Amino acid sequence: MNAFDLTEDQQDCLQELINVAMGQASDQLARYLDTFVYLKVPNIEQVKAEHLFDTLNQDSKATAVVSQGFFGYEGIRGEALLMYQPQDSHRLTDLLGYEADELSFDEQIIDLSSILTTTFLNVFASQIDNQMSYSAPRLLSANLSDVNEHLQQQAFNWDLALKIRISYQVTDYAFNCDMVLLIPEEAIINIKTVIDRILAEF
Amino acid sequence: MLKGLSSNILNRLNTGVLILDNDFNILLWNRFLEIHANKNNKQVLGESVFSVFPELPKKWFERKLSSVVQLKTQSFCSWEQRHHLFELAHSRPITTDSDFMAQNCTFLPIEVEGEVARICILIEDVTDVCHYQTQLKKTLQELALSNCIDGLTQAFNRKHWEECLAAEFSRARRYNYNLALVMLDLDQFKLLNDTYGHQGGDKVLIDTAKIINEHVRMGDLFGRYGGEEFAVILPNTDLAGAKEVAERIRQIIANNSICYQEQSISVTVSLGVAVIDEQDSHYEDLISRTDIALYRAKNTGRNRVCLAKEHPDT
Repeated sequence: MNAFDLTEDQQDCLQELINVAMGQASDQLARYLDTFVYLKVPNIEQVKAEHLFDTLNQDSKATAVVSQGFFGYEGIRGEALLMYQPQDSHRLTDLLGYEADELSFDEQIIDLSSILTTTFLNVFASQIDNQMSYSAPRLLSANLSDVNEHLQQQAFNWDLALKIRISYQVTDYAFNCDMVLLIPEEAIINIKTVIDRILAEF
Repeated sequence: MLKGLSSNILNRLNTGVLILDNDFNILLWNRFLEIHANKNNKQVLGESVFSVFPELPKKWFERKLSSVVQLKTQSFCSWEQRHHLFELAHSRPITTDSDFMAQNCTFLPIEVEGEVARICILIEDVTDVCHYQTQLKKTLQELALSNCIDGLTQAFNRKHWEECLAAEFSRARRYNYNLALVMLDLDQFKLLNDTYGHQGGDKVLIDTAKIINEHVRMGDLFGRYGGEEFAVILPNTDLAGAKEVAERIRQIIANNSICYQEQSISVTVSLGVAVIDEQDSHYEDLISRTDIALYRAKNTGRNRVCLAKEHPDT
């Protein structure tokens, strides 16, 4: 076991915090988007820097990836990657409530990414008495091979990250996408401290 | 004192700050906006943002702000998707060609007792970033193109041409398409160099490449294979079609005279033609069969087209 591993209790607690946040986020999103949004039970695991490329590939054959950084008090920080698949893009303007010619595809997925990421993380942050700030969302690339190329060229300054993957489904619009939260090592230690405090309070 | 200090700082920020109520009326703005919009407080405070900035896309803007109010979360708008929202003057009017300030906008909810009562819009001037990013993109495009082009003849270079052939070869295999190849070599080019010098030889290469390029069909891929050897990939073409293209190239070159230092130079080419064959397992096989045909054209008197044998083993 390394310093970044979560104990079983910590893992359960984090899972529970995420479940609650997912419930509230899906409720808020449903009201804003005027349709049901299903969030699938997340999968929490550690990922090594050199395997990031494989794990993103495994998860989905995404064609577009949007990145948004998040940072809160107590050193809780990371990067959210929103991954889209090609068949998911047809009715996005409808879903977002914009007029058809009002915004480009890039703008649609950037807008949606920001909504999904910040809604979830705001609720999650309030669960742990925190508050998040966000960087502007950026389209990393319009297809996964570009993202992979980009990731493979990087010399990461981290070895391990905590990876939380949540799938979003909007069945009325036949829309799916994946949100992958990646929390680098020093922030894992910080999140473990927060979890331990919550566990001690019970 | 601190309050005075923060309003002082607000007015010295190089970022626009605009605060709206839920009915889109402007409650506050800072000096940055006042200056770049060139309007005074009287014209602006208490007025609707849509009457002060009629250029705003109203419906889009309303929907954007509704996400901030309902989800109580911040929202963004980047210059990469929308160059600007507000028509503002910018800091590089002389040294860029931008009419308006390129902007990154952030929409922040301001909550009062749990409800979003105000929306704060931050407007950053990114004209600079936009300008350099656009230049970089343009340069990268030019670089990518120049990476594919032979500097002397402006035909595709060997590397790019071969990549094209590899791609066309696997496409032809996958979909069972036809694929033809024409390779051609200038006749007695060494003699030409010896007679007119290397600059004369270069002129011949340039003019010959130009005229071939004008006469290949749309979709054909023309490249300089090496020295005085050129090659044309003809997707979806059978042997008869490729022979016709090759013959046409032979004739126009033979009938063309190249002007160099007030002298007229006439040249001819020898051509080899082959089509993809079941026994070709790599694109290199197709090249070598075309090359053999080309050498046969050379050895049987030049200025002619020779077809590769369909099955060299039988």
